Amino acid sequence: MDSKHHLISEAYQRRKKGWDKFFKGLFWLAGFISAIFIILIIVFIVRKGIGPFLPSYPGGAYPIGKFLTGFQWRQDSAIYGVAFIVINTIISALGALLISFPISVLTALFITKIAPRSLSRIMTTIVELLAAIPSVVYGVFAAGVIVRWVDSLAAMAGFSTYGGNSLLAVSILLAIMVFPTMTSLAIVAINAVPRELVEGSLALGATTTQTNFRVVLTSAKSGIFAGLILGLGRAFGEATAVSMVAGNSMIGPTFNPFNITRTLTSTMLAGLKETQGLDYDIRFSVGIILMAVILVTNLGIHFVKDRIGRSMS
Amino acid sequence: MKTFEIKDLNLWYGDFHALKDIDMDIRNNKVSAFIGPSGCGKSTFLRVLNRMNDLIDGTKITGQVLFNGQEIYAPESDVVTLRTKVGMVFQKPNPFPMSVYDNVAYGLRVQGIKNKAVLNDTVEDSLKKAALWEEVKDRLSDNALQLSGGQQQRLCIARAIALSPEVILMDEPTSALDPIATGKIEELMESLKKDYTIAIVTLSMQQAARISDYTAFFLLGDLIEMGPTREVFHKPNDKRTEDYITGRFG
Repeated sequence: MDSKHHLISEAYQRRKKGWDKFFKGLFWLAGFISAIFIILIIVFIVRKGIGPFLPSYPGGAYPIGKFLTGFQWRQDSAIYGVAFIVINTIISALGALLISFPISVLTALFITKIAPRSLSRIMTTIVELLAAIPSVVYGVFAAGVIVRWVDSLAAMAGFSTYGGNSLLAVSILLAIMVFPTMTSLAIVAINAVPRELVEGSLALGATTTQTNFRVVLTSAKSGIFAGLILGLGRAFGEATAVSMVAGNSMIGPTFNPFNITRTLTSTMLAGLKETQGLDYDIRFSVGIILMAVILVTNLGIHFVKDRIGRSMS
Repeated sequence: MKTFEIKDLNLWYGDFHALKDIDMDIRNNKVSAFIGPSGCGKSTFLRVLNRMNDLIDGTKITGQVLFNGQEIYAPESDVVTLRTKVGMVFQKPNPFPMSVYDNVAYGLRVQGIKNKAVLNDTVEDSLKKAALWEEVKDRLSDNALQLSGGQQQRLCIARAIALSPEVILMDEPTSALDPIATGKIEELMESLKKDYTIAIVTLSMQQAARISDYTAFFLLGDLIEMGPTREVFHKPNDKRTEDYITGRFG
């Protein structure tokens, strides 16, 4: 073969390397900018959120112990206790996942493994559309429809509600809202399970159902749990729709599903008037607590994930 | 004794006629090798024997496939039971992402066997038969994906053996392995033949010549000829077999 070496131009080689350097720099810049934003936001929230508890705070420090362990939140009398709100938030989000997680995983299995191809394509599109609906729309739906279901359910169980606004309504609302995220991720994860594993299981005399539960789901668990974490993030972080049906109780915690509740996000949103003073600044303190709750639960989920599907022997 | 008797077998994938009028006997406690160029239907034929083709939409099968005298495609035939008696090892090692122990115990567990002692004994016994026990006995709870490729394939053989099948189907079991791992699997087949009937698809004619008692040559969906391996390789009946074996096409 003839050498093509004489065709290679020096100038092109230099240009090529120049572009390479340029794009590397661009990637660094993009990474740097996003890191700066994240750091700025965290610094801002932490500074604002810690402020009210410092002696230098105008109007005197709010006692941090009272904030962290308080079981009352009264804007009108400037009592800010966050402990019961943390509990409420965790209960309502876990309640949502309890409803939504199994339904999501089973729906994903249905779409990927059981439904005929045409139906599964339609359902995938529907799930994706659901994920794109703005939260306020879900909120309006919940305030008009879900609260009525809850109200009649409560009546049957012999409870009365505040027009259906309740912990249960929040959990149902959040369950609907996190369903598309979790289902989409579960679908992707299940589709990524190698066909060879499914065949291997069937060749050992397992039924399709046994194969789906023992091999497909355990192989897809990373993706399924990624969906769970994203779903939980949405459940914890959703404010608008939740505020519309939570009822915003001033004391708690709320364990009765038919009682009104208050979540960290609805607390940050509700009754916001002026963007200065203790009533505004303390919302950042609530934000710090919210981020901490999300962080801790995510770690918890990772821990659970590592244990699931490990040796049964 | 014939484990499988196949008569007038035809198989279509949609419009594609993948297997044409196949007649074949597979004898028990022998190794039968299926050879032929890629796309000749040998893997499809192997998958007829444990009904793995059922999974592919648009597959149509006519003819007779008798396993121990029973028609496996009869409506009353149970595919789950069939697959516990006819095990399979695949081209690429496909251990489940779980522990070594759980992989081997899988087949028993999906048949509802929970007895710890039975499981323990079977796992040990199967791993010994698959010549893997010495290498993994201290790491039974490790994830199977941490094993080497050759070990994974022997694990898949152990997994199939755990159900005490009569037949083990092997679909190019060494094509993803290095020569040393291949040698170990071939040795293993030699020892397994005492207890099991083995049918193997291979692209390597040397492998077929080394390990098999019978060889079947497929071409474009036809079974050209089948006979004792020595005869097929030394004095084939059909010109096409000779051309393929001597490397004139392939």
